[in-house]
Amino acid sequence: MSKTLMVTGASKGIGLETVRRFLENDADLTAVVLVARESDEYTRALAELAELNTRGVTLTPYYADLADRDGVIALCGEVAREHGNVDILVNNAGYTKPVPLQQVDFADFERTMAVNVYAPFTFVQELLHQGNQFQLIVNIASTAGINGRSGWLTYSASKAAVINMSEVMREELAIYGTRVVCISPGRTATALRRVLAPEEDPTTIMQPQDVAAVIEMLASPVGKFVDSANLVVRQ
Amino acid sequence: MYSLLLLNGGIGARVAAGQPKQLIKVRGIPILVYSLVAADAVEEIDQIILNYPEGWRDDVERIVAAYAIKTPVTYVEAGDTRHESVAKMLGSATNDDVIIHETARPLVSSSDFTALIAEPAANVSLMLEIPFTVAPVDPESRTVTGYLERSTLRNVQLPQKFAKADLAAAHAFAKAEGRTFTEDATLVAVAGHEVRFIDGQDRNIKVTTPTDVKLATYLLTGGEESWDE
Repeated sequence: MSKTLMVTGASKGIGLETVRRFLENDADLTAVVLVARESDEYTRALAELAELNTRGVTLTPYYADLADRDGVIALCGEVAREHGNVDILVNNAGYTKPVPLQQVDFADFERTMAVNVYAPFTFVQELLHQGNQFQLIVNIASTAGINGRSGWLTYSASKAAVINMSEVMREELAIYGTRVVCISPGRTATALRRVLAPEEDPTTIMQPQDVAAVIEMLASPVGKFVDSANLVVRQ
Repeated sequence: MYSLLLLNGGIGARVAAGQPKQLIKVRGIPILVYSLVAADAVEEIDQIILNYPEGWRDDVERIVAAYAIKTPVTYVEAGDTRHESVAKMLGSATNDDVIIHETARPLVSSSDFTALIAEPAANVSLMLEIPFTVAPVDPESRTVTGYLERSTLRNVQLPQKFAKADLAAAHAFAKAEGRTFTEDATLVAVAGHEVRFIDGQDRNIKVTTPTDVKLATYLLTGGEESWDE
């Protein structure tokens, strides 16, 4: 039996911590597909994960900008060819450039929607078209998608879309027995949070490993008891 | 291995005028998808013969492609009656054993197919006890003509399985006799072959009216739980 985990935005924050936890605790895991943009921190993260990987799990990094839809589609083809079935998909990658309405650059709004909404949709649709059967899909939304926040128009709108898209996915993919989970973390000490709240002391808020622990719980047998609605994770 | 004859051909004015009833949606999903996905997960089914109402082949093929159905699908145009459709589809079956199902029963599960396959007899139908009394009548004179013992009657469900040779012989028999049957378990039995039955489930309803669509939606969304809370 093989079990493949795919995580987008895997180079840091919640994505990296999720990979780390599964690598350390999931005895059935045989492969991890990591997706992120090329960066020094991604290189460092891969080296660190390689050291943790004492059970010989196949770790395969892919380099992609999720705003590039053609690239995402090509990546899905590659993943299907090289890894067969993706059992757990964690749509974690996120992008934001918070500015007031009057200052929103439309191209940036489009990039926000492309990374936060269209990319997770495309990963799921393309892999389904390849015949992939997901056991679990985890979409990372945000509490900012539940209530709009002044100054965060594009981010709030995109995360609201993720919450609603997840509800539809949960209903439609039930025919395959696929569980679809949507979680909305509140303030979490990630790079994205630093963009949203640069003045904040990151040691005072929720840490990425806390959110990763919740994702691990959702993937466990008890996860099915708490996955029927958007799950708020906050301090 | 089994060939699945998946009936998908009727024009159902009762559900949505102008559209064949199998292209209606339940929970926003084309109704035929439910049976296709359930059958696709059954290893012993290695051929699906899907029929389509005249003019609807492209739509049906697009749905099969979008849902990445792995089992090879053979397309056959629907006949004038259900009886004729089965006879036409039977000619395309590559296996010695066939299963008949209809897309109008979206609550079928993979385990319904595997339970049928696991039965040792060749010809088997899912059937249900009838929890109410039916009366034989003369519709012309609107007169009750007798009594039927309900313990010896069953509600005929799908799926059903047959030895292809028995089903083909039964259809040849019906043709020679000039008779049309509304389903195949009774046809094969009347033609002289043994047909057994196993208990089906009452949730495996046939969706033919708008009320049925609502009921199927309720059952598919686990409405029971949310109503109870």
